[in-house]
Amino acid sequence: MHYNTNEEETCFLSLVPNMASARRLKRVAASQPGFINLKSASDSAGSASSRRKRVNKNKKKNWNKHSDINDIDEFLEDVRHQERTTGGLLSEKSDDSLFFLDIGQPKKAEQKEEEPVEGKKRKGKASRPLRIDLILQHDSLVQPPKDVLAYQQPNAKKLRRIAQKAEQLAAKGVVPRRQKQLLNRRPVDRTVKKAVTEANNNPDREYYDIWGQESKNTADPWYLQQTGKKLVKRPEKLNEKPSVLPAVEVIAPGGSYNPDFFSHQALLQEAHDIEVKKQKEEDKIARQLAVNRADTATEETVFNEQVEGLVEEENEEEEAALDEEEEDGAVGAIVLADKKTEKKRKRERAEKIKEQQRLADRRQNDRRQQLFQLRSIKASIKQQDQKTQAKQIQRKAKQEAQKAQPRRLGKLKFQPQDMEVQLSDELAGSLRRLKPEGSVLKDRFKSLQKRNLIEPRERAKFKRRLKLKYVEKRAFREIT
Amino acid sequence: MGGLQKKKFERGSATNYITRNKARKKLQLSLPDFRRLCILKGIYPHEPKHKKKVNKGSTAARTFYLLKDIRFLLHEPIVGKFRDYKVFVRKLKRAYGKTEWSAVERLKENKPTYKLDHIIKERFPSFIDALRDIDDALCMCFLFSTFARTGKCHVQTIQLCRRLTVEWMNYVIASRSLRKVFISIKGIYYQAEVMGQLITWLVPYQFSHDHPTDVDYRVMATFTEFYTTLLGFVNFRLYHSLNLVYPPKLDSKTESELKDEDDYAMNSESYLEKLSALSASLARVVSTAEEEEAQLDQFPVEGEDIETMEAREKEEKQQEAQKKLFEGLKFFLNREVPRESLAFLIRCFGGEVSWDTSVCIGSTYDVTDETITHHIVDRPNIDKQHINRYYIQPQWLYDCVNAKILLPVEDYFLGVTLPPHLSPFVEEKDGDYVPPEKLKIMALQRGEKPVKVTPGKVKVENAARLEQEEKAEEKRLAIMMMKKKEKYLYDKIMFGKKRKIREANKLAAKRKAHDDAEKSDKKKAKTRK
Repeated sequence: MHYNTNEEETCFLSLVPNMASARRLKRVAASQPGFINLKSASDSAGSASSRRKRVNKNKKKNWNKHSDINDIDEFLEDVRHQERTTGGLLSEKSDDSLFFLDIGQPKKAEQKEEEPVEGKKRKGKASRPLRIDLILQHDSLVQPPKDVLAYQQPNAKKLRRIAQKAEQLAAKGVVPRRQKQLLNRRPVDRTVKKAVTEANNNPDREYYDIWGQESKNTADPWYLQQTGKKLVKRPEKLNEKPSVLPAVEVIAPGGSYNPDFFSHQALLQEAHDIEVKKQKEEDKIARQLAVNRADTATEETVFNEQVEGLVEEENEEEEAALDEEEEDGAVGAIVLADKKTEKKRKRERAEKIKEQQRLADRRQNDRRQQLFQLRSIKASIKQQDQKTQAKQIQRKAKQEAQKAQPRRLGKLKFQPQDMEVQLSDELAGSLRRLKPEGSVLKDRFKSLQKRNLIEPRERAKFKRRLKLKYVEKRAFREIT
Repeated sequence: MGGLQKKKFERGSATNYITRNKARKKLQLSLPDFRRLCILKGIYPHEPKHKKKVNKGSTAARTFYLLKDIRFLLHEPIVGKFRDYKVFVRKLKRAYGKTEWSAVERLKENKPTYKLDHIIKERFPSFIDALRDIDDALCMCFLFSTFARTGKCHVQTIQLCRRLTVEWMNYVIASRSLRKVFISIKGIYYQAEVMGQLITWLVPYQFSHDHPTDVDYRVMATFTEFYTTLLGFVNFRLYHSLNLVYPPKLDSKTESELKDEDDYAMNSESYLEKLSALSASLARVVSTAEEEEAQLDQFPVEGEDIETMEAREKEEKQQEAQKKLFEGLKFFLNREVPRESLAFLIRCFGGEVSWDTSVCIGSTYDVTDETITHHIVDRPNIDKQHINRYYIQPQWLYDCVNAKILLPVEDYFLGVTLPPHLSPFVEEKDGDYVPPEKLKIMALQRGEKPVKVTPGKVKVENAARLEQEEKAEEKRLAIMMMKKKEKYLYDKIMFGKKRKIREANKLAAKRKAHDDAEKSDKKKAKTRK
């Protein structure tokens, strides 16, 4: 316990603004339990305490300051405490709620009824409520006050009257406009899985007469164009087929499951020709790559090559003989030309003129003679015409043949599929033993490429962006 | 120098073409999307005549598209749908990554889809245009319907293809428009005549599956997507032209005949399976009672004289007779023959067909039925319990259809070496080699009953012998009167023609030798026994 000395008390009280509040504080402090009255410890000092100041209690100002309401406060506190803890005044409670008669130990059978609740294992922690729930519970049994404003309705009377009128009208059968609109509105057909039914490959999809309906061209074309609703016309060129080949090419009669002898032979011949061609190409490549064994360099030849020109004695004589032969030929090559004289120039000019005259005469003569050669000229012209015509026909035929060929549309060339043909010993005599040859899927795919509908492509390769890193497992590393 | 200078590659063909990558960037699509769009819209790459000019001087191999085509593509509404799909995929991936399952569900329910109806209307403005290009669509749909439903390509696509092909086959049966069949080692070729158009398609065998790796499945799937849409609309129109209900329903009285089987297929699929059995007739919009054969009115075509009209009438009568080829005959298929193909064929020509109940749903009568006229078997021998029916191999049906008459059954009995199956798609001209089997068939068509036919060639039939002799006489005179030069030319032409005949003779001689060799082998085998 800490006792204030007088000095401390006075300086403590000097903090307070006036004497009345100081006395109040003293009073409150004295009323705390376990607090020893200050006045008993020390002598009440001086004039400040011996003469009490006279206070007029009839003034309103002093009602609050100088009235002692401790007892009332205590009483009210007590009442509130009781209400908080027990929900009402204890004096008003019935005897049964406060007291009970102690009969003795209850029977054991009753105890056993209190089995743990279904399902839960009675672990203390699992069955206890959360602490936060406990904290947030109301700890007083006093009901929270009703919010009057929540029950207040502005214009409650008016609203009640309106509701009554509406009831009366509804009883008669008149329905307000809003409600009528709501009732008229059809309920939204929320079909579940809308996407599945609308999908293009839904097996139960509906079809309708697409060519029977007339297109609605009712609106003004200018309006349609301006609002962007005009349908764009398909260009004419797109309606042309990209190839003259038919969609389905029937196999030759030799491809029947039980073919006629000759047609089968013809088919085999075709297949054989293709194979022969392939084999020829392979042979050609092999020939081009072939190296003659004898041409490969042996050690001897290599040595000779390296040593060439280094050994002098034998080669000198041969070189001397060669040199002589060359010199004889080279003597008459260099001759200095003399300057041209006037005579020579004149002569040259005259000759030129004569030559020109001769040529002119000749040309005239030719022209005169052509008159008698008309027939042969005609014949030669006719021949040339025929040649050009034949060439034209050939070129046209080639163009037509080109149309039937698949076009080169991309990087890869079109690879025709292998001919479907069964050898004579593979032919089945009956439909039951027939083994189908070739795949229709591949045939259709190649047909699409042949008719220039798609371009030949190869499968995209799998390229790794980042390099793979190989790491040994630790266990493995320890072993090795 | 006066005037503006012209720069190279700014005018002409260089500006008409655009490379594939540039086109893709212009449309702001990824490469697979661009390819899909081109396939759906029918835009194909072009090979320019002068590659160097178009490629601005270099000769690198590039794919070129016409610039006008790409500009046309810019107006296509499904380009927007492709971009929406890309965004959808991105959002879905994000939702998956964050494990927001409710968001995943919501996104999946609102998946963006597109429709191809307007593209079909644009590419095929009239129904006949669509019919002309239906070959490819049929082949693709038949091909996809034979795929295994493993999930490599969408199972829904396979189901849709199956449904469409079954509808098409039912239409062909109802309209009796099948004309030619050819069994090859690749598959079975059919040709039908629908509304004046000859349509050929190829059906692969049911169990030949080796999926080659160098086929681009995405491209094929895109084509199939387009073709299924097209085929569906065409089917609709065809069914309505025949007054049949679309989607097809089985006729009420025949449906009651078909017993309701639970052990064949699930309920949802059993209807399709019953339809695909091809053994029942279809329901009509306006049920018509059996009408008598109405006499066709004679409409004389302008500019036609009586002869051509008579020829046309004769042809039409022949066609009508051909449509009823198997009428009145009852067939039973054994277990080892290809059921669908044969059922299709038989029903197309008016016959009745059934099979063992363990094979497929929809068998109408049992093997013990006494009224069965032909029993189709493919085994070397079978114990023949019933006397009043023929046991024949399936090639008889195909050959009858191609020959347009009922061929004699003796050549097709069990254990007999079958005559070769000839292709009906081959047209033989004058002077070409014709196999003796074909000659025999032609003789049968004329109504003769040949016992033995020697190998020979086609000869022009003489209507009136005298007339021909006169003509020949005139020809000889004309040849004598030709000038030397013209004669020379004429000799050349005749030499070429005679060469063909000589070759045909050679082949005939070869065939004879082959036949003789076979005969001697047979004789040896007989004597040995």
